[in-house]
Amino acid sequence: MRATPWICRNCLSRIARPANRLRSSRFQSTASTSESVPPALLSRARSIASEHKQLTEKLADGFDTRAAKKLGEYSAVVTALKDWEKAKESVTELTSLIHDPTTDPELLALASDDLDATRTQLANASSNLTTSLVPIHPFAHLPCLLEIRPGAGGSEAAIFAGDLLRMYQAFCNRNDFRSNLLKYENVNGTQEAGIPLSEAVLEIDSENAYGVFRSEAGVHRVQRVPATETKGRTHTSAASVHVLPSLQESSLGENDIDDPESDYYIDPKEVKLEVMRARGAGGQHVNTTESAVRLTHIPTNTSVSMQDSRSQPKNKEKAWVLLRSRLAQLRRDKREEEMVAMRRSVVGVARMGRGDKVRTYNWGQQRVTDHRSGTTVHDLDDVMQGGQTLSKVMESVRTWLMEKDVEALLAEDAPAREGKK
Amino acid sequence: MPRLPNSLLRKARNINSLLPALLGPCRDLTSAQNELRWLREHVHKEAKRRSKKGDTLAKADLLKTLVECRAKGFPLQYLLGSEFFGDLEIECRPGVLIPRPETAASVTHLAKLIGSAQNLPTELRVLDLCTGTGCIPLLFQNEFRSLRDNIALRLLGVDISRKAIALAIRNRRRLHQSNKDVYKTATAFMLADVLSNPFADSAIDSPLPLKSALNHRRLPAFWDILISNPPYISPDAFRTTTARSVRGFEPRLALVPPQEAGSSHVEKGDTFYPAIFQAAKDTEVKVVLLEVADLDQALRVARMAQMRNFDGVEIWCDQPDQVNDSIPEASHGIPIVGQGNGRSVVCWQGIGAEWLEKKAASIESRPMKEVLEQTLAPRFELERCADDTVRLPRFLFRARTQLVDEWGLPVKWSTQGDKKKS
Ligand SMILES: C[S@@+](CC[C@H](N)C(=O)[O-])C[C@H]1O[C@@H](n2cnc3c(N)ncnc32)[C@H](O)[C@@H]1O
Repeated sequence: MRATPWICRNCLSRIARPANRLRSSRFQSTASTSESVPPALLSRARSIASEHKQLTEKLADGFDTRAAKKLGEYSAVVTALKDWEKAKESVTELTSLIHDPTTDPELLALASDDLDATRTQLANASSNLTTSLVPIHPFAHLPCLLEIRPGAGGSEAAIFAGDLLRMYQAFCNRNDFRSNLLKYENVNGTQEAGIPLSEAVLEIDSENAYGVFRSEAGVHRVQRVPATETKGRTHTSAASVHVLPSLQESSLGENDIDDPESDYYIDPKEVKLEVMRARGAGGQHVNTTESAVRLTHIPTNTSVSMQDSRSQPKNKEKAWVLLRSRLAQLRRDKREEEMVAMRRSVVGVARMGRGDKVRTYNWGQQRVTDHRSGTTVHDLDDVMQGGQTLSKVMESVRTWLMEKDVEALLAEDAPAREGKK
Repeated sequence: MPRLPNSLLRKARNINSLLPALLGPCRDLTSAQNELRWLREHVHKEAKRRSKKGDTLAKADLLKTLVECRAKGFPLQYLLGSEFFGDLEIECRPGVLIPRPETAASVTHLAKLIGSAQNLPTELRVLDLCTGTGCIPLLFQNEFRSLRDNIALRLLGVDISRKAIALAIRNRRRLHQSNKDVYKTATAFMLADVLSNPFADSAIDSPLPLKSALNHRRLPAFWDILISNPPYISPDAFRTTTARSVRGFEPRLALVPPQEAGSSHVEKGDTFYPAIFQAAKDTEVKVVLLEVADLDQALRVARMAQMRNFDGVEIWCDQPDQVNDSIPEASHGIPIVGQGNGRSVVCWQGIGAEWLEKKAASIESRPMKEVLEQTLAPRFELERCADDTVRLPRFLFRARTQLVDEWGLPVKWSTQGDKKKS
């Protein structure tokens, strides 16, 4: 089994942007607010701090780019650890002061006042320390593609899929995410609105979009009385949401596309391009518009087809964007699965899979429940309008995800510690 | 044409009442849905345009009318007023042939090859005979310019139809407005007759023969590249193999060559090619790209090129930029490039070989027997058997038919692996 680096996956590190910039994102969630830091994380932080010290000494002797880079990566942890240790010390001091029977009563009052504030400080420091250690998703900074398709439940599912699309569009508008519909097809195969949706691909073309939306992936379930239902029975249907990091060429450095090690790399020789060929003789004999393009990545048998536009080059371009995204996601999924297998052997962290039911929207009770974070909210309308309540739910999932990541991190550490014994 | 199954029609009607009508010309549901979507988008755009002018438009009525026209076979591109040709949107009008994607594919491929060639002249001259909408020179220019900026281009499109020339000029003007950098080049369109002979008498108001027209307009007599997608469908094939929408609504002048009495020795679809080869000779072009109907016509045209002593000939398929994955990599010693139907003939002479990165005389175009004797025999063991037949190494299997059929070589197919002489 391969080692799992802690800041970001080795092979992806060149894609991830500097971590501190990401952390300042307003959507970065905080980990648990408890005062304590899991001992394993703490010891990891301490070993990083000691390595940091060694590196600093090494750098004093002469410049070394690699050491300097590592130092930069570590410094956030070191600062967080220092803050945490300071807060911890103050708490201990104050506590012992309070418990000491010889303490002067006036001082005692002051100390207990201070203790509350210091406790809050410690809680913050703990969460900062945890955050600094938890891996940032290597694609978090990228724009993303949100693919919405109806699942089980016939036309009601298709209507709900359309509701979800509008919900995310509204959410994007309110939160200043640029979004644009890359593909929209209703069940008639046309782009008319007001008809149940068959497939939509929404491109969210802002930085950090993947980090914000990736927790939306999964099966969204709806429970309500469909407009088409005459007997007033409640139906349960579902729509699936896929979230892919968007690998537009502009969002990548040249290298990422040309570098065979990168997740974005596709060897053009491995992609079969099929254009819809005119039936029969072709050439002057026929004049139908045949602009459809299909790309197939042969090794993985992944194929995408595009026929939105009358222009074949445009369809080709769009198909490449989609293919790149799907493949990178596939590659990442595979890696993640390997890691999950490893983690599971220790604590059984459930990965949030595409097939899992993640959230329920219940019209009768006007509530939305997220099954991962366990959060339930009651302002259904506000959720569907992409409002504050939706933000709250999404944030709860991000927090949940991060907690899972911390658990996983600890699980990865466990065998290492076992080995040392 | 086979009747559409009722189940398909019913399915279409369930989706949208306008769809069954479109199934006629489209034949399948997906294409019909696409066309309906494009027509609808067109109507919306039209309505917006009119409302700016203060007019109103009954959208549903217009859509219905358009669908009815389309159902009768009227081409979608004439209804929408344009067709995409490579990266370009080319204006289309009844009376002028709609550009085809296969033409765009070969022109793009050629422009890419030439665009990355060494030893080009400082001004590269490209002649397009039978230019129609003008799509070929306009696309060539666009593709070439995306690769090269240091070479001047001069392009000339020639057509016998006044309607075509007028439309080509409109297309040039529109593209020039949208991209002055690319279309700063001198592109001219000229009325002339590719088929008529400068020494024959002709009516006073009919278009001049090509050579006289060039002279008359004081245009250069010598060119570098000649491209042509001439009318190439025989009257029989016109009746039997063209789509209804082509036969009924596109100009016959653009599709079927005129039939001269007593010219039965030439295939009826091939009329233009000898005249074009003559023009190629007169203008001393180095590279020629000619579109054809299929592999058979390609072979006939390729043989004409061989007889005219071009240094090399090859056949390009619908997608010349893709790897040939079908069995014949050559037919009668002529290499076949790309995937799909045989679509064009490319030939070159002199420095043209260098532009296309061909060796001066390509080995493939030499008769197989010569190749076998001079090149292969010294390097590979060609086993002579007791009955005086030759055993071929496995890799030569593809050439076997030619060796047997054309040169009467007694050949045996050896199942042993290749044997290299060490
Ligand atoms: C098959 S169309 C090709 C149009 C255009 N190059 C394209 O690829 O879309 C053939 C064109 O040849 C023109 N044409 C027919 N007879 C001609 C002649 N004798 N001399 C010159 N042009 C001729 C027709 O007007 C028509 O525009």
